[in-house]
Amino acid sequence: MAAESPSSVRKVVVHLRATGDAPILKQAKFKIPGNDKFAKVIDFLRRQLHRDSLFVYVNSAFSPNPDELVIDLYNFGTKMAGVSR
Amino acid sequence: MDVLNWDGTLSAKDFRIGAIAFAQKWETLNLGYPPWSWVPSPKHPPLTSPQEEGYLSLEKIRISRPKQEDVDQNIKTDTGEEETSCSEKEDDIDDATLVQSSHHELQYYDFHIVYSHTFRVPVLYLRAYRSDGRPLLLDEFEKDLPACSVKELSKSKWTFITQEEHPYLKRPWYKLHPCGTVEWMKLLILGDTSQPKFEVVLELYLLSWFSVVGQVIGIRIPVNVLSDCR
Repeated sequence: MAAESPSSVRKVVVHLRATGDAPILKQAKFKIPGNDKFAKVIDFLRRQLHRDSLFVYVNSAFSPNPDELVIDLYNFGTKMAGVSR
Repeated sequence: MDVLNWDGTLSAKDFRIGAIAFAQKWETLNLGYPPWSWVPSPKHPPLTSPQEEGYLSLEKIRISRPKQEDVDQNIKTDTGEEETSCSEKEDDIDDATLVQSSHHELQYYDFHIVYSHTFRVPVLYLRAYRSDGRPLLLDEFEKDLPACSVKELSKSKWTFITQEEHPYLKRPWYKLHPCGTVEWMKLLILGDTSQPKFEVVLELYLLSWFSVVGQVIGIRIPVNVLSDCR
């Protein structure tokens, strides 16, 4: 993940990587507002991949709570990692 | 052990090491829950040495997800302070009546993390009961679970949470199914590009595992744990 512009609504670039049998996205990087919840990333992927059950985690052997804000995940230096079924 | 060739499972001994590391970590995190305690089990299958047998236990936990209006009511009723002042309004009609409401009834949860010899992974067992000790059925406590768990329950009734015999206590407990655990634990651990040593993996195994499993029952591990771990 990478953040940019220190304006009021900080946006975070989420880099998604597929693992397991998850299909690879044509576009792997998305910019979303930092004050969005992690749940939004999950929902977005669910729609993109047309899959109901997804396993989304960050690159630190940790699966964040969907309530967690994306900016917090960014601030704690996590790298958004794979998506799988 | 080379982490790259690791199949995602734990031996009973690994589980004990990982469980104790998790319990210690849990205490330092200070999440507002009591500590997990390691319960050595007197009974043991013939193949394992006795000191490795046991499970982690976290008991008498209150998890309630009351509706917003209940929250407001709770704030009023839970202050614990009796109105002692006598006002002139004393003759007003006292509308404080005791309402029997299941929303305010205390419900407690016990959680055990038990090693599964079949799946070679940790498994979460849970039970719920009222303050008088009466056990609750899944139908009765599922409203306490996070919305996503309730949805999952309705979709996959027999592969998510089912009632089973507790392997040590031999009593009926609810069990969160461990199928798939190996696959997602492998993703979690092997996705880490730094490729830590197996000992390091073991230290964090149960924390990683609980970051997923805890979401099912509504116990969240804050993301700042990550910065402490690395």
